[in-house]
Amino acid sequence: MKDNRHTNRPSVPSLVVLLLPWAVVYGAFFVFPFLFSFVLAFLHYNPLSVHATSWAGLENFTRLFGDERFLRALRNTLLFVVGTVPLTTAAALGIALLLRGRVPAKGVFRAGFFLPSIMSAVVISLLFKLFYAPNGGLNQALSLVGVAGHGWLTDPGTALAGIMVMDVWAAVGYYAIIFDAAFAGIPKEFYEAASLEGAGFKDTLRYVTVPALGPVIAFVVVINTIRSFQIFIEVFVMTQGGPLGATDTLVLYVYEAAFRNLDYGYASALAYAVFVLSGVFSIVAMKRFRPRLGSGGGG
Amino acid sequence: MPAALAALVGCGGGKGDEKPLRFWQFWDTAVIEPMIREFEAQNPGIKVEIEQLTWKSGLEKIQAAVASGTQPDLCELGSTWVPRFSYEGVLEDLTPTYTEVADSFIMWESAVWKDRVYGLPWVQGSRALFCNADLFNKAGLDPDRPPETWDELLDAARRIDELPGEVSGFGLNLGERYVLFKKFMAFAWGNGGSVFGSDGRVVFDSPENLQALEFYRELARYSLKEKQEVLDHFFKSGRLGMQISGAWNLKNYAIEAPGLNYRVALVPKPAVDRGEHASFAGAEMLVVFKRSTRKADAVKLARFLQDYPQAKRLCLEVKSVFPASKRVFADTAFVGDGKVRVFVDQSLTSQTAPAHPGWIEMEEAIDRSVEEVMYGRAEPREALRTAAGEIRRIAERFQ
Repeated sequence: MKDNRHTNRPSVPSLVVLLLPWAVVYGAFFVFPFLFSFVLAFLHYNPLSVHATSWAGLENFTRLFGDERFLRALRNTLLFVVGTVPLTTAAALGIALLLRGRVPAKGVFRAGFFLPSIMSAVVISLLFKLFYAPNGGLNQALSLVGVAGHGWLTDPGTALAGIMVMDVWAAVGYYAIIFDAAFAGIPKEFYEAASLEGAGFKDTLRYVTVPALGPVIAFVVVINTIRSFQIFIEVFVMTQGGPLGATDTLVLYVYEAAFRNLDYGYASALAYAVFVLSGVFSIVAMKRFRPRLGSGGGG
Repeated sequence: MPAALAALVGCGGGKGDEKPLRFWQFWDTAVIEPMIREFEAQNPGIKVEIEQLTWKSGLEKIQAAVASGTQPDLCELGSTWVPRFSYEGVLEDLTPTYTEVADSFIMWESAVWKDRVYGLPWVQGSRALFCNADLFNKAGLDPDRPPETWDELLDAARRIDELPGEVSGFGLNLGERYVLFKKFMAFAWGNGGSVFGSDGRVVFDSPENLQALEFYRELARYSLKEKQEVLDHFFKSGRLGMQISGAWNLKNYAIEAPGLNYRVALVPKPAVDRGEHASFAGAEMLVVFKRSTRKADAVKLARFLQDYPQAKRLCLEVKSVFPASKRVFADTAFVGDGKVRVFVDQSLTSQTAPAHPGWIEMEEAIDRSVEEVMYGRAEPREALRTAAGEIRRIAERFQ
C-alpha cells in the first residue's frame, strides 16, 4: 500500500470483496471436493450408510491394478487422447493457416468453425447419435455412393472411433481461433526475413510459424489433453460405455462407481488416477512443445 | 451448542406439524399437485411440500440427501433400486402397513428384504409384443393372430425379415445399458428360468436360461440389433415387424405415427403346452425414510397416493404406467381398450428384477453375457456360466 504510483489499483479490502464471489464458488465447488475426494479415496464410503464408513488405506488404489474394467477404460481413454489430441491440434493449425490466406467471407468461416464450441456437448452428442444411426445422415450419404449402411455406434469396432471423430469436429474450431489469434502476434518481419532468405511455404511453416507458436501449441495440447482425459458426456449420451465396453472411459467409470455402485471411495481413487494421468501427459506435452529459448529462436 | 443445534434442526419439536411433510417424486408436479392439495384438505394440519426429481439425476440427489441427512419424509423409488436402500437400512420398515393392504396390490417383490417390507407399490408397467399388421399381411401372416409361441415368433420374424426392401423381422436391443436384461429375461422367465432359485442360490446358468438364450440368438438372425430409440424409429416408420416394449408407445405412436397399423400381444411362451407369457415389469415404489420425523404422516400420504382413485388418476394422465392396485384388472378405463388391456393382462405373468441389493451390478453382468452372445463373442453356455460366476461374487459382498 506504500506504493501509490498506481493510483488505479484497488485497495486490499475492495480486492477481497471483489474476489469473494469467485473465491467462495471456487472453494465450494473445486477446492473442497478436490480435497474431500482425496480423503474419500482412502475410505470405504457409501452415501447410504455413512455411519459404516471405514478406513481403506491404499486398498482403493491397489484395487485399480487388478480391475479389468479400469484397465479397459484406461485403454479406451488413452486411445481417445492419443487419437484426438494430435489430430485436433493439426487440423486447428491447418484451419488457422487457411484463414490467414485470402479467403472470402472470412468472418463467416471463423464463426462457422467456432460454432460447435458454444453448443452444449449434450446437444452435439445427440446430433451425432442421430447422424450415426442406421437411418442417419452418414449412412444416407454413404448410400449415395453405393456403400452399405452400418450401425456405427453398435459395432464395437467403430463406436469409439465415431465418438473420436465427433470430438475432433466439435473441438477443432475453438483451437483454430486460438491459433488464428496467435498468428496475429507473430511479427511480420519474421516472414519478410524468411522470404528474403528464399524460404518457401514449408520452410516458413517449419522455421518461423511453428516455433513462434510454440507456447500456444503447448497451451492447446495441454488443455485439450486434460479435457480429453475427462471425456464423459459424449459417451454417457451416445453409448453408455457400450457396445461390449468398447467406449467405456475412465470418467464414465468414476460416475458409475460412485452413483450406481455407491462405492465413493473407489470412485475417488479412480478420479485421482485420471488426475495423475492427465497431469503426467500435460507435463510431457508442455516439455515437448515449450519454446526452447536460445536454441535458434532468438538468434 | 448441541441444544442450540437441536433447536435449529428440530424447530423446537413441540409444534412439529407446522413443518411441511417433504415428498420427492418423478412425475410432473402439475399432475401430482391437485392430489396433494386434496390430501391436505382431508388432513388438516399436514402440509406437503412436493419436489419433482428428474429421471437422469434424481437418484444422485436422493443419495446425497441421505448422506447429508436432508432426505425427504416420503420418496418415490424405482423397483430396481429399492433393495439396495432396504439393505443399507435407511428405509422405514413398512411391514405393518403391508399386512393391512397386501392383498389389494401387486408388485411387492422388490420391496421385500429379509422378510420385511420396505416399500409400497404405487404404479407399474410391463412390456408386451408390438406387431406391425401391414408387414404381417405382406408376409402372409394373420395380424389378428399374433405369435403365441417361440416357434411362431421365430417363423413370423423370419418371414417378415425375408420381405423385399429394408425390413427387419424383430427388434433386438443391443449397444445400450439397462435394457437388455429386461428383454432377454422375458424369454428366460417364460421358460421357467430365473436369476436366483427359490433357496436364494444363483441359478443364472440353468438349462432353462440356456435354452432361452439359444432361442434369443436364433431370433437375432432375423432381427435389427440396435438401441431402443432406433428400434422405435424403425417400428414407427413401418420397417420393423415386431418388438417388445412398454405402454408409453401407445401414446407415442398415436402422436408420431398416427397411420401405423399395429397390434399388441402378450410376449410369446416357449410352446403351447409349456411355459408362460412372461415379461419384465417395473414398479414405482413409495418409501419412507427411517430418519424422517413424520413417519406416520408419510405413510398416510403414501397410502392415499397408492389407493386406486389417485393411482388411476395419475396413470390416466401420464398414459405410460398402470396402478399397482388389483382393481386395475376390472376397470374398463384400462381393460376396455384392446391394446391397453394387453399390458394389464401381461402384468399378471410379468416378473420384476430380483430383490437383491447387488442387483444394479448383477444386471450389468447379465447384459454383458447376452451382448457377448449376440455379437458372436461367446457361446450361450459359457456366457451364462461367466455371468453366474460374477453374480455369485457380487452376492457374496452383500451377505
